Amino acid sequence: MLTSYDVSSLVIDRLCDQAGGQDVAVACFYFDFAAQKEHSPTSVLGVLLKQVVGGLDEVPGEIVKAYENQKKVLGGRGPRLSDIVGMLQATTSEKRTFICIDALDECVAGHQVKLLGSLSQILQKSSGTRIFVTGRPHIETEVRRRLAGRVTSVSITPRRDDIISYLRARLDEDLIPDAMDSSLEADILKKIPDDISEMCVWLPTLGRLP
Amino acid sequence: MSQSFSNNINSLNTFNTFNAADHRPNILAWLSPLEPRLRHQDIQESRMEDIGEWLLQTEEFRSWCAGSGGDESDSAVLFCGGDPGAGKTYIR
Repeated sequence: MLTSYDVSSLVIDRLCDQAGGQDVAVACFYFDFAAQKEHSPTSVLGVLLKQVVGGLDEVPGEIVKAYENQKKVLGGRGPRLSDIVGMLQATTSEKRTFICIDALDECVAGHQVKLLGSLSQILQKSSGTRIFVTGRPHIETEVRRRLAGRVTSVSITPRRDDIISYLRARLDEDLIPDAMDSSLEADILKKIPDDISEMCVWLPTLGRLP
Repeated sequence: MSQSFSNNINSLNTFNTFNAADHRPNILAWLSPLEPRLRHQDIQESRMEDIGEWLLQTEEFRSWCAGSGGDESDSAVLFCGGDPGAGKTYIR
């Protein structure tokens, strides 16, 4: 109903809408358990850089030079993590940049440390850069530790309005609308959000029981 | 003969002169093979309108979004903690 990637895509869309016409870059990445192997820190930071550079009129000379140099060896070697971080530091200092990372907990633990370390290096050079991260609550400690003192947080729980929007959408999709009358619909829109709100109040308590 | 040789040299020189604009797609592909645009599109299409809007109205989001790293209390990072399917299992 309300997933972390829904929240990420909502935020990304809002940032992209705001960026339209302004000199702002938005770069995002969605982690996925099923593709952990391909999601190395180098490829993830590389794709963030790719999106920032994609929005520039010209590819910065430093990146062109690195590309030319690496193409000459081993039949075309990929970029190195340190180079990518350096290039991100340079581009984000020039242009206000929003970086969005979804489901960081689905990234391999060792990679997570490297990624957060690199993001911290980027923030040190360009403090105006904004980073948005979603993930299961347990990784907040790690995020706070690696990005020392620069983190604020919001907890994603289904709000009453979200539940009602979801129910309305599902009722609209009903294939046998004749089976529904207005009082049943009103009942559904009242009782289910009430029950879920109660569950949400109780669930954290139940989780702490032995 | 010499004319044709000279033409060949010229075209070789042109070929050797690296034109960054022509190589733009190759350079971008070299930076990373990943394409998060596609995943974003999938999620965007399945997302229900208005769900999660409240987050965009929170003080945390607004000040994170507007901040520019100028003062010491500024938070450059906004962390949203939640289950990947928060609430999903309750009303499937």
